[in-house]
Amino acid sequence: MTGGLKVYYVPWRPFIMQNTFPTIYGLLPIMRTILIRERITIVHGHQAFSTLCHEALMHARTMGYKVVFTDHSLYGFADAGSIHMNKVLQFTLADVSQAICVSHTSKENTVLRSGLPPQKVFVIPNAVDTSMFKPAVERPSRSEIVIVVISRLVYRKGTDLLVEVIPEVCRLNPNVRFIIGGDGPKRVRLEEMREKHSLQDRVEMLGAVPHAQVRPVLVSGHIFLNSSLTEAFCIAILEAASCGLLTVSTRVGGVPEVLPDDMIVLAEPDPSDMVHAVQKAISILPSIDPQVMHNRMKELYNWQDVAKRTEIVYDHALKCSNQSTLERLSRYLSCGPWAGKVFCFVMMVGFLLWQLLELWQPADDIEEVPDVSFSHNCDEEMLQKNQWNEEE
Amino acid sequence: MENLAGNSSPPRSRWRKVAYGGMQPGYDDNHTDESFLEGMVMNASVVKRDMLKVMLDSVSISEYLCIVALVVLVWTYTLGSTLDENSLLFIDASLLVSESTVKAPGVMKNPALTSCISVNASVVASVFIASRLPSRLHVFAIMLFSLQVFLFAPLVTYCIKKYSFRLHLCFSISLMAMTLSFVYMLHRLLFVLLLSLLVFVNIVCPYWLIKIQEYKFEINGPWDEAKLCFDITD
Repeated sequence: MTGGLKVYYVPWRPFIMQNTFPTIYGLLPIMRTILIRERITIVHGHQAFSTLCHEALMHARTMGYKVVFTDHSLYGFADAGSIHMNKVLQFTLADVSQAICVSHTSKENTVLRSGLPPQKVFVIPNAVDTSMFKPAVERPSRSEIVIVVISRLVYRKGTDLLVEVIPEVCRLNPNVRFIIGGDGPKRVRLEEMREKHSLQDRVEMLGAVPHAQVRPVLVSGHIFLNSSLTEAFCIAILEAASCGLLTVSTRVGGVPEVLPDDMIVLAEPDPSDMVHAVQKAISILPSIDPQVMHNRMKELYNWQDVAKRTEIVYDHALKCSNQSTLERLSRYLSCGPWAGKVFCFVMMVGFLLWQLLELWQPADDIEEVPDVSFSHNCDEEMLQKNQWNEEE
Repeated sequence: MENLAGNSSPPRSRWRKVAYGGMQPGYDDNHTDESFLEGMVMNASVVKRDMLKVMLDSVSISEYLCIVALVVLVWTYTLGSTLDENSLLFIDASLLVSESTVKAPGVMKNPALTSCISVNASVVASVFIASRLPSRLHVFAIMLFSLQVFLFAPLVTYCIKKYSFRLHLCFSISLMAMTLSFVYMLHRLLFVLLLSLLVFVNIVCPYWLIKIQEYKFEINGPWDEAKLCFDITD
């Protein structure tokens, strides 16, 4: 209950299959009760992959609440999986009041995927808790250069690039050491690489690093290496920069927007270009002062700013005009020749179920929670566990 | 944030496409200008197809159709009266399945699952036919013939095509003419069916392909997952 934040846990088995029919409406009763009990005005959902988010937003719209959606992910247009996901997103966003994206690239992607007008999509980046990620009190020595990698070791994070880049960098610079934090299916490949090039004493593999342990790992290094193949924003880079590390990253997705050019060295996702970028980073390392870097990060990013900007989005959402169910249905119908009709049907059934619930348990019968003595109400319903704490 | 206060400053600094530094003075977070979607590339890898080229390529398919039709003809002549209509139809049907996958010309080095299925299906069809035959000699003859044709025909046509495309065309067209005339002698309805199938494969399908190319809509941009430019050797 810190700062008026409440968390409801929905007694629901973990979703494995998405969009199985019962779960489309399964949440409606409990959502309705929560929304009425807490006198909610805006429902804010996160993450395009969350069924909970999609369902919650859909029901909230059915009940006439204002809805805000935040997208954190990038998605292509090529394969069957993304076509399916994009349709689901189009359905949810067809009627959303306002949307938030974490970077401009993410905004372009979301607008293309969902057909939202770009004026409805706000770009509000994530931030970093600079007080948690401070540089080491004692500057690490320069006799040895330590390159830190912290990521899940999976294909999308570019572990295969690391396998190519690390031996080459070690060959070119006898005083460079790597620390790799994280675990995943590609860990075996890194270990194989280490064996093959006999780099056991120069590449340290830590395995999974809990978030609280990330800072100690970061501050033991000079350069942070990010090899992602796709990234909407990349908080890891912010955390590294806040700890005073110089970042070397692939130029993918929203990464180029994240830091000013003099705080990051970008490279194409290609081993030779990345080795080149690491060499460049090593050469400019003497001019980097971790404390100066940290202070700059403090000015560039903070969560209070994010909260303020989110509040503006909420104000915009509240100003949106109310629409009748028919108007909303026509908007769904325009989503596509077949999909539009399916969407309409789903919405109509949802609407009928809601009316049924109104009869069965009228809104007046649901007890509203008494006001706890906070100076303000928390507008936002936070249902997911993995989201940031935005307090108003 | 101090830059929220800078809202009224007259010399508006240029908007930049960056995420750092808080809200940009003078611009809302939903600011959209001409730089929006400038990194988008549409239909970058779409190949413009030529109608004639597609039609010529589709000749290979009708070539295999004809080979299958010829084999069925041989079977029918061999069997003569020993076979009743129903089993003939059944075998034809099972062959049609095999025939649809029998073409595996390019994949000599690395046989795919479909080419294995097609060879198996053709062998099964031959065994069905062979079960109706009166003598052991007949059985061996028809099995040998079927295996030879189904195993080696793709290889032969592949080699012809590699040797000279013109030869391949002549070979295919004469094969089609031959098959059609034989089928015409056997059965009128089958002739019409085969003819319409060949027309469909050689003319309608290529036209269709060219037509639906117009609807191709491919979007690429900075949000795409980067492709690795080297092979991953596990």
